[in-house]
Amino acid sequence: MSVNRSELDVGQPAVDSSRLPEEALEDTMRESAARERREKLRMFLTSWQGMTGLILVLVFFASAIFAPWLAPYDPNAIDIANRLSGPTAAHWIGTDQLGRDTFSRILYGGRVALKIAAIGVSVSLVVGLILGMIAGYGPRWLDNLLLLLFDTVRAFPTIILALATVALTGPSLELVLAIVIITSIPQYARVARTATLSLKAADFILAERSLGASTPRILFHHVMPNVVGPLLILAAMEVPVVVTVEAGLSFLGLGVLPPTASWGTILNEGYLVIRDTPWMVIAGGIPLILTTLGFTFLGEALRDIFDPRMGRGR
Amino acid sequence: MPKDAQTAQDTLLDIRDLSVEFRTPRGRVKALRNVSFEVPRRRIVGVVGESGSGKSTVLWAILGLLSGNARVSSGRIDFEGRDMLRMSEDELRAARGEEVSVVFQDPMTSQIPVLSYARQMRDILYRREKMSDREKRRRGIGMLERVGIPDPESRLDQFPHQFSGGMRQRAGIAMALLTEPKLLLADEPTTALDVTMEAQIIHLLQELQAEFEATVVVVSHNLGLIAELCDDVVVMYAGEVVETGDVHDIFHDPQHPYTRALLECDPARLPERSAKLPVIPGDIPDLTRRLGGCIFADRCPRVMEVCRTDTPPDQPTASGVARCHLVGGPHADPDWPPPLDVLTVRTGEGGPRRAAPDQHAAPVLEVEELNVRFRTAGALPALVRRIEDPFVDAVLDVSLGVRQGETVGLVGESGSGKTTLGRAVLKLVEAQAGSVRFEGQEIRTLPEARFKPLRRDMAMMFQDPVGSLSPRKSVRALITEPLQIHGVRGVDFDAEAERLAGLVRLPKAFLSRYPHELSGGQARRVGVARALALNPRLIIADEPTAGLDVSVQGEILNLMAELQAEHGLGYLVITHNLPVVRHIADRLAIMYLGRIVEQGDAEEIFAQPAHPYTEALVRGVPQPDPDRRRTHVSISGEVPSLMNRPKGCDFVARCPYAQERCRIEKPEHRVQPDGRVHACHFPLR
Repeated sequence: MSVNRSELDVGQPAVDSSRLPEEALEDTMRESAARERREKLRMFLTSWQGMTGLILVLVFFASAIFAPWLAPYDPNAIDIANRLSGPTAAHWIGTDQLGRDTFSRILYGGRVALKIAAIGVSVSLVVGLILGMIAGYGPRWLDNLLLLLFDTVRAFPTIILALATVALTGPSLELVLAIVIITSIPQYARVARTATLSLKAADFILAERSLGASTPRILFHHVMPNVVGPLLILAAMEVPVVVTVEAGLSFLGLGVLPPTASWGTILNEGYLVIRDTPWMVIAGGIPLILTTLGFTFLGEALRDIFDPRMGRGR
Repeated sequence: MPKDAQTAQDTLLDIRDLSVEFRTPRGRVKALRNVSFEVPRRRIVGVVGESGSGKSTVLWAILGLLSGNARVSSGRIDFEGRDMLRMSEDELRAARGEEVSVVFQDPMTSQIPVLSYARQMRDILYRREKMSDREKRRRGIGMLERVGIPDPESRLDQFPHQFSGGMRQRAGIAMALLTEPKLLLADEPTTALDVTMEAQIIHLLQELQAEFEATVVVVSHNLGLIAELCDDVVVMYAGEVVETGDVHDIFHDPQHPYTRALLECDPARLPERSAKLPVIPGDIPDLTRRLGGCIFADRCPRVMEVCRTDTPPDQPTASGVARCHLVGGPHADPDWPPPLDVLTVRTGEGGPRRAAPDQHAAPVLEVEELNVRFRTAGALPALVRRIEDPFVDAVLDVSLGVRQGETVGLVGESGSGKTTLGRAVLKLVEAQAGSVRFEGQEIRTLPEARFKPLRRDMAMMFQDPVGSLSPRKSVRALITEPLQIHGVRGVDFDAEAERLAGLVRLPKAFLSRYPHELSGGQARRVGVARALALNPRLIIADEPTAGLDVSVQGEILNLMAELQAEHGLGYLVITHNLPVVRHIADRLAIMYLGRIVEQGDAEEIFAQPAHPYTEALVRGVPQPDPDRRRTHVSISGEVPSLMNRPKGCDFVARCPYAQERCRIEKPEHRVQPDGRVHACHFPLR
């Protein structure tokens, strides 16, 4: 790692001996804590991976949130005269088979992706965290029961599960969301469970029990803050998975219904006209790739910084 | 170590001006600064210091095994005239394998769990190409036999997990000696072991050193071990060597104020029971700062103006050097050092020795015939494998009482069930039979909901001072946690936090700190403050001085004594540390394999133990005095597993006085006229 450490070499001023040693100690402690924070920030800012990830993720968020203001056209406005136009001054990356502006549709498609990612990841994170802590802290039989449940869910391939449910209920955005949440809960739960298990016998948990703390208090005040860190990193890595699952299901016609724009439906429609113009497939694929890459980079950079055991071979 | 008297030929290892830095997110830690000392051939040199003194860093530097973020910024380590710091990786590896070897602190983590000892030993000898595998094996067997492992022939093919803790350390020593190294390094070789085992290992190291004529460097914080084992001593503080010398000079005529203070703080050295233990105030300095003057100046009882500005040079002493202005040069004090019986350090704030607790004071805690059993196999596997009794007795028929204002010491080695007993009293583990009464009320069978209000009156201090604090909570939140749990209303939590911090003399500024930012002593204070938050009447303290340096443990014990005098607290102190418990306990209970083998007045038990095990414990503590080295080890062997409890007396296999009756009949608890309880057929008094 090429961190510039010259700043650290600047000599600290000698301790002012007229002050109480206590205050001096206090200053030292505050200083070194601040130094550690600064160092972590610097590690993040100087890692190309982290910065690339951060920029891509910010672009993704901004384009999705501000789509109504950024999009030059209504994403569903049909203009048959200009169908499959290819890049022009009026339509930057062309139009689709109905003459709708692809750029606008991609921006709006990002909104779908963001919605699924935000709701899907946060709900499964919270539910997974709680179930995982219960499995790890609770009695053995409950642990076994929950593990059985998690393994059962994970045994189903996501797409097959989606196909089966769509056959029963018909495709919808809500269904995609439900499938994403259910299939990713076990991952969070397993990580939370393992972390909780290792804390269960820790002295500080025993200390809380000896003070009379209730189980919910122990779980939410004392276990959760210590297990949530790795879960957040996992969540950052999970976003691209969720986004691709949504795109994949929509591509197969199992997710978002036309005419709503989603990266998956754009790819699907582009695939149908790929002999006439490659632009739609390219335009639909690139944001997917960049978003996936962005979140993965960000997640890895965060992991390297906060979990030094995994990546500190340098 | 007189430099001139010995020729260079006699110096095996010569460390000169060694400085090591660690790069950390907090800045550069100058872990070692200009460390110099010599290790003469065939001597045992002890490097002693508290945590943060850099003693282990010296050891790793010698081996060339410093961690990746370390940098040797200056100095040399000459081993037989060759500088180890400038050796190539190949040369270094050869030296490490053949000429220098190590005995580690924890044999569990330093031995390879998936390889048998035979294989591990063969690997150690891999450079001896001329040696056949059979010869290597024979050598391994011989070495195991030499370190006192019975039946070495078959033991050699076993794995580390099949050895008990003490055996494992013996095997570790055997492996270290296999190549007949010129230099043997030992890193806290007895810290992971029990008192009775420690004595055996010290004895073994002494014997082997004499036999192999090896040169040994022992790194330890344990003054007793150093005094017992070493010829020369190097005292380190905060990354500097502050004093070197012959073991007799260091222990009988220490020159540096730090050495002096360290000795005075060791509770094993105080001849009489004293309620106020000496302490060195303050903390080790922050080694990321640029340091000027004497490193010990901030905590030194004899600090002068010059100490803060000028780094003292190494002043020659009778048999070594001391880095102090008092010892030589223009600021030397002819009256320093004062005679050994004069204390140079503070002994905590005033207050006379507290009166012995009233014999008729109301009992706070009464434990009767308490039993805690742990399941060793599930109900179904036990049935399938025909295990008749799939339980072990961790606590067996224990009766114990704590009165108001009284301190009861519960003493035992690891596996004695003392911690389990403490936890069972607070219902953190389930007890199967017997009774526990708190102020007369039966609590063992009380459901948790009805027991919760009583938890306010009974608090526990846990072994690990930092680990028992919830890591993501500020000190303020931690010490007011009990108030929140019990829904105390009408109290300003901030004011309460400050009051409690004041009570344990923790500076107010620390309230916004997190546990990992605290030193062991500070974390322990937080633990005490939390225990006191709801004005309990009973405190169960599990190893209250574990993880604390000698100079700090006195502070905590003084604080506990003070609070007891003020609030009439009853203490149940669970510990293996006899020198400490001697100064604080009114009564003692000695536990062995889950049973109390002796119980009675603390001073009387120390003066005249009735049970042979108690005698072994009391005599087993290494004394920080090289003139009082023990010549023989009173008991051998180790604590047996709970799974094979002997049929007769639990102690029978190790007891030097065991007779036929002890093997057949389990001794009952007997009460002597003076109130002493013991479980022995042939008591010593």
